[in-house]
Amino acid sequence: MRIKVDLDLCQGHSVCMEECPEVFVVRDQPGGYPQVVVLMEQPSEDLREKVMNAARGCPNRVITIEE
Amino acid sequence: MSKPIPTASGAKPDVGHMEEYQANQPAFLKRIRNECGELAEYNLMGQPHVLMSGPDAQEAWCRAPDEVLGQSAAYKGVVPIFGKGVLFDTSLERLKQQLKIQVDALRYQNMKAYAQVIADEVRDFTNNWGESGELEMVDEFLRMTLYTSTSCLLGVDFRRNMTDEFSELYRDLEHAVIAIAFIDPYLPLPEFEARDKARARLGEIVEDIVAKRRASNEEFHDALNTFMTSKYTDGSTLSPHEITGLLIATMFAGHHTSSGTATWTLIEFLRNPQFMEEVKQELAEVFADGGDVSHHAMRGMPKMEAFIREVLRVHPPLSTLIRVVEQDFDYKGTIIPKGYRVVMSPGVAHKIAEVFPDPEKFDMHRPEPEHLFAWVAFGGGRHKCAGNAFAILQLKAIFATLLLDFDFSLTSAADEYMDDHSGMTVKPKAPMTVRFKRKKK
Repeated sequence: MRIKVDLDLCQGHSVCMEECPEVFVVRDQPGGYPQVVVLMEQPSEDLREKVMNAARGCPNRVITIEE
Repeated sequence: MSKPIPTASGAKPDVGHMEEYQANQPAFLKRIRNECGELAEYNLMGQPHVLMSGPDAQEAWCRAPDEVLGQSAAYKGVVPIFGKGVLFDTSLERLKQQLKIQVDALRYQNMKAYAQVIADEVRDFTNNWGESGELEMVDEFLRMTLYTSTSCLLGVDFRRNMTDEFSELYRDLEHAVIAIAFIDPYLPLPEFEARDKARARLGEIVEDIVAKRRASNEEFHDALNTFMTSKYTDGSTLSPHEITGLLIATMFAGHHTSSGTATWTLIEFLRNPQFMEEVKQELAEVFADGGDVSHHAMRGMPKMEAFIREVLRVHPPLSTLIRVVEQDFDYKGTIIPKGYRVVMSPGVAHKIAEVFPDPEKFDMHRPEPEHLFAWVAFGGGRHKCAGNAFAILQLKAIFATLLLDFDFSLTSAADEYMDDHSGMTVKPKAPMTVRFKRKKK
């Protein structure tokens, strides 16, 4: 799987970081909302469920997963 | 060469479409969408507007950068309410930093504390209802959500000691949100005089709490704490005046919108008993393990959530969202010139039959549309309502408690419950009365 994020939509709510800190971290950005940074674009299969929970839990639907 | 913007028929000299717009805004916007398509130009008292509707046009509206579609001019009327130098009365740079601080108060880390606070407030509130009777829900939910938002923003302590004075000051601010305020908010009107007095007094109250908190070592988990401890990029903290402004702005954004949606959620449950049964079944399963409302409101109840999202589709609390064109704006080869206002309407967006088949029908099992910008109850993009997760959480906590503890029924025919389009915002038309009976334990 490959993770994509749409930063136009990210306001740094941080649900993803709570669900799957191995892959997502939310960092402060100069002069705007904090935003998600993807630590691994192609995480291993054993993280699939956590990544899915992060994508589903995101209130702004920032994260998409491509197979 | 730019393509011309399709223009709505029926404009009159000087006033443009104002009369038709004021008589029934949703019907007017729907008519011009059907007549003109994705872009529909109309005119209000000489000011040209363009309605952008359909998922692609809505996406373009949402994704446009601040430098192209600005928010400030559309918020002129609330500047004296939030305060000088707060949000839309600052530079774009400062606005971005203040919005960031506002969102910080609504991030996931704070949400856990809010879930508990809301669940407690709702229990306390309904404990005063007694065993059975009739209630006017527009007013009940306005009071309930004033308490929940005050608790989450200013803290449980403040809420417990909250006086009538606070509610009255808040009401004076609300009463100043009138159409003329968006033309000149500084006219010598009694509403504006009361507003300025109330804003000054609220500033004193907040300043007092801030001073007390700074002097104590206690830890707090509310929005006020976030605002007090946040810093601008130059390292400076927010002044009490700015803190007060952000608190008011956050409260304004979330109060009527949430309480109106709560009212409609209850009414739609009672209009659609088969869906209510499904949601009650889910509640029975979820709470079989004895977990508490706050925990489940955070993590689960997908059916409840689907129901609430359908309520927001059919009854979006904000019918139009407005931006001002700061630089010529190109949509698929049509230029919308600088100075125009561009409007996105959740009310129009959610009733497009190609996107939501049989759009007037309430159906919680409606599949989520593929296009991310088809359902826009919270707007979208950079300025999407930052309280969207908070709002859903709060509604889940309210209705988990209400449906677990009470049985409700309508006191009027189902089609007599309607929206009121006469004010600046859409709201459920009072009275909306229901009968309730507390369940036997």
